[in-house]
Amino acid sequence: MANNGLGLMGALKTRMHWHQARQKLLAENVSNADTPRFKPHDLRAPSPAGNGGVTLAQTSPLHLGLSGQQGGFDPRDPKRFETTPSGNSVNLEDEMMKVAQNQSDYQLAASLYSKSLGLMKIAIGKGR
Amino acid sequence: MDLLKSLAVAASGLKGQAGRMRVIAENLANADSSPERAGTDPYRRKIVTFQGKLDRELDAQVVELGRVSRDRSDFRSKYDPGHPAADASGQVKLPNVNSLIETMDMREAQRSYEANLNVISSTRRMIQRTIDILRA
Repeated sequence: MANNGLGLMGALKTRMHWHQARQKLLAENVSNADTPRFKPHDLRAPSPAGNGGVTLAQTSPLHLGLSGQQGGFDPRDPKRFETTPSGNSVNLEDEMMKVAQNQSDYQLAASLYSKSLGLMKIAIGKGR
Repeated sequence: MDLLKSLAVAASGLKGQAGRMRVIAENLANADSSPERAGTDPYRRKIVTFQGKLDRELDAQVVELGRVSRDRSDFRSKYDPGHPAADASGQVKLPNVNSLIETMDMREAQRSYEANLNVISSTRRMIQRTIDILRA
């Protein structure tokens, strides 16, 4: 299936799923912008190599490791940050930027998907 | 579908901020509510609290209004011996509402509300694009 154009549509589908999940996380960040002690989350960008990177297996709680990391979430430190006295560290401007970017990336994937559908239609003889 | 869940999460944010605006409006409206008799307390400023709550159906942390508590700071007092609520030295107790603080709070609520609206319109556009695939 990988060589007949369906692989591309599968990849686009995964990409759109990823954007949907990210949009949900961003909505959570924005709606909790005034909740005390709330820390914003973001998704790690999908990497073409499959699951994002190799981590060390921890078989004992005494092992030193990258603690506090959850799989799939972006572990990078944000470039700008602010924490209010109530312990909330949501930066609304940053979240707005991410929402806008997520939306346009999603639109890109969606229009590529409909273009691929058009290609399929041409192939089966229904295109104009 | 995740996009519909984003809409629901953003809507919970809208609801929380709207509740906050309601309490701010209550504070501002009562900024000059003096007591009727001497010895009773005037209106005490209300404070909203927010709390995150894990919504199991949405599998997301939504926001909701917590308890509305009262501001324990001192009341303002004004010298007005003719007032029915004046005490022996002619002082009248007035509510501990500071309109500057309330205005600030209102701006913040407004900004957060707009941010949530922004998320909703962006999500709606994403849904629209998904539906457009059908039409292509």
